[in-house]
Amino acid sequence: MSARAGLKAGQAGQVVERLEIQKAWLVDPVAGREGPGEIVVSDGVLESVVWLEGDEAGGVDDRGVVVAPGLLEMHAHFREPGFEDAETVATGCAAAAHGGYTTAAVMPNTQPALDEPGILERVRAAAAASGSPVEVLAYGAVSLDRAGEQLSAMGELADAGVVGYSDDGACVRTPRLLRSALLYAGMLGLPIVDHCEDAELTAGAEANEGYVASVLGLAGWPAAAEVNAVSRDIAVLADALRDEPRARLHLTHLSTAAALDAVRRARAAGLPVTCDALAADGLSGDPWVDGALTAAPYDTSLRVNPPLRTPADAAACLAAVLDGTAGAVVTDHAPHTAVDKEVEFGRAINGISGIETALGILLSFVDAGKLPLARAVAALTTGPAGIMAGWSRVAGTAAARPRGLTEGAAADLVVFDRADSWLVTADSLLSKGKNTPLLGRSLPGRVLFTVAGGRLAYQDPNPDQA
Amino acid sequence: MSAQAGAGAAQAARKDAAPTQDVAWHHRHVLDVDVLTWPEIELIMRTAEEMGGILARPIRKVPALNGRRVTTLFYEASTRTRVSFETAARNLSADVVSIATATSSVTKGESLVDTIRTLEALGAEILIMRHSVSGAPYLAAQVFSGHVLNGGDGWHAHPTQALLDLYTMRQHVPGGDLRGRKVVIVGDVLHSRVARSNIWSLTAAGADLWLCGPATLLRGLDRWAAAWEGGKVPGHGRFHVTSDVAAAIRDADVVMALRIQRERMQSGLLPSLREYAARFGINAERVSMARPEAIVMHPGPMNEGVEIAPDVAASGRSVVTEQVSNGVAIRMALLYLLAGSHDGTVPGAAR
Repeated sequence: MSARAGLKAGQAGQVVERLEIQKAWLVDPVAGREGPGEIVVSDGVLESVVWLEGDEAGGVDDRGVVVAPGLLEMHAHFREPGFEDAETVATGCAAAAHGGYTTAAVMPNTQPALDEPGILERVRAAAAASGSPVEVLAYGAVSLDRAGEQLSAMGELADAGVVGYSDDGACVRTPRLLRSALLYAGMLGLPIVDHCEDAELTAGAEANEGYVASVLGLAGWPAAAEVNAVSRDIAVLADALRDEPRARLHLTHLSTAAALDAVRRARAAGLPVTCDALAADGLSGDPWVDGALTAAPYDTSLRVNPPLRTPADAAACLAAVLDGTAGAVVTDHAPHTAVDKEVEFGRAINGISGIETALGILLSFVDAGKLPLARAVAALTTGPAGIMAGWSRVAGTAAARPRGLTEGAAADLVVFDRADSWLVTADSLLSKGKNTPLLGRSLPGRVLFTVAGGRLAYQDPNPDQA
Repeated sequence: MSAQAGAGAAQAARKDAAPTQDVAWHHRHVLDVDVLTWPEIELIMRTAEEMGGILARPIRKVPALNGRRVTTLFYEASTRTRVSFETAARNLSADVVSIATATSSVTKGESLVDTIRTLEALGAEILIMRHSVSGAPYLAAQVFSGHVLNGGDGWHAHPTQALLDLYTMRQHVPGGDLRGRKVVIVGDVLHSRVARSNIWSLTAAGADLWLCGPATLLRGLDRWAAAWEGGKVPGHGRFHVTSDVAAAIRDADVVMALRIQRERMQSGLLPSLREYAARFGINAERVSMARPEAIVMHPGPMNEGVEIAPDVAASGRSVVTEQVSNGVAIRMALLYLLAGSHDGTVPGAAR
């Protein structure tokens, strides 16, 4: 267990005085390199990165302890202000660190919505008070109170430091508002991040339209609702670019093969549109629900927006991650209280608490031979960082920094053990949200350390267990 | 029977058929017919026959559930189903408490889980539940320590209706065997819990099942049929989904009409009731395409002149009132089995 040895850090939040990881598998997606190696963190700085060759590398493979750059979450909900019984910035940061993340961008569907700089200040104050070194970024709302009527305080929000705008939880309501938002945000060097759902087609919808919904008598959630919104957004973007070449569109949590194809075509045509796929539901599909037909029918932890789609859609999401159409994998971490989930399926709130399980889910795909390890790491690091670097106001800031293993920089990394697994339980999850269908399941890739900006963000409480 | 189309599939669907006399009841709840094996369905049919014997007496009461506490919890308006359940429970001498949600604390925002726990604390042993949200009884079953009997949930399931339908069909089909017999269900299949539960029971019975209606009211059903057809879910039968009402009814042994709700026009799924009646209504002309001895069924309440013509509803083909009386026998049988009897024989019911 030499790979785990050598921590002198003290408590979470403090600067890592010294951390040595020996004979591990290093993955540096910036250098495009992976292999046996060793790292030393000293006084919060990644002092040395040594790649081992020949005999020195003996016995080290990519199935044991892995060192990777700290993960970047583009899409999370920390629920503060307004829904602190579901999550707070502090518990969200703790959960993120447990999941290997060192940066998380939170969505503005709080109460009140993050539609003016004062709310952003509250989020920042909560992050500072938490003592967590996890960096919290925030999106501002596209529209005032996310009502889809008029623009939020976009300029002031940009000055205050939001990384983009989204009415997430819902689609930007009208194409007219979207066009204005793309132009105005483009002028500010920021993107519109859209949740693609034609609400007209999903009124009352409960589960992906198809076999599972049909058998369970659930109102169908048609794929066309996502495809429709994606097509609309791309058409409006193409139009807006003529007036504002800096307009940028990012489509989040795409879940259908047809929507991903539409993005693939738009990107091939040169449009500045990016997208991401979901770690949990997107890549797993509704076999989860399908299995639940007999195992646990109407398990509300499976109720999520977008809904769990078909196995073919899940395969298309994975293909999109592999071919780069989906530049990032996100969790859409959506913690909810038991009060909102322990109700009839049709009345349960949408969402899966996912920021602690995304790495394990991707590693299970790596274990299954469906995703190379380096690609999985890139989808959680350089992938989202690259997307954010395409937003001119964000490019060059710490948020969009290259996520590699760079000697001399502040240590920002995750150490996990692919040979060790962990059990997902209400106790093992640090998020307040226990709403995940993975409860009771074992995930590969126990996180041993997460170091964010040179400070300890997470340390496995049972380092000798393996 | 062997010459009947579909008999092969029927036998495949019934390959688990074992000698039925020694089947023991082991289900704690009845939430749908999907988890019932064919021998268990036959056990219910046999028990219902014994209950039918009780119902034929001048005094329709046996002490089988004497002192047992049955609660009906209806979140949706229903007269016939609730009265049928309560009649069944009283025929078995159970103590019955009825809760209509308009008069309960549910209107004050109490959650289903809290309501169930409260009823349990008040002593409910068997909970009969009707709810407008699909799957709600499954949530109730998770928190209730007694027995849950689903009286209909959303679009999902109505197991007692499907079982009484099967029971009624068996009384009219020669030999009581539905294998290879053509059963057509016409109407709003998409929103119908009756149709969904009947899919499970009728395919288990080996019937040649056809679902028919306008394309807007069949959405998703073709994908269900395709999944079974393609063997994605092994062990289940097949059924047909079509908007061709003539093909569906031709040579049918059983024609079942489903209720059409007026909301379907408001939500843009149907042009008009007039057009529905003209294209899909079960009228004398359409019934004449079925087999001469075919029966006509309806789960009620009927919109006469819409999904079923008044003369058909009143004709000798119609078994709608038999469905209602058989419903009491089926519900007595299920209450009896749930309350702890195991072999389907009813003390005091010997004829």
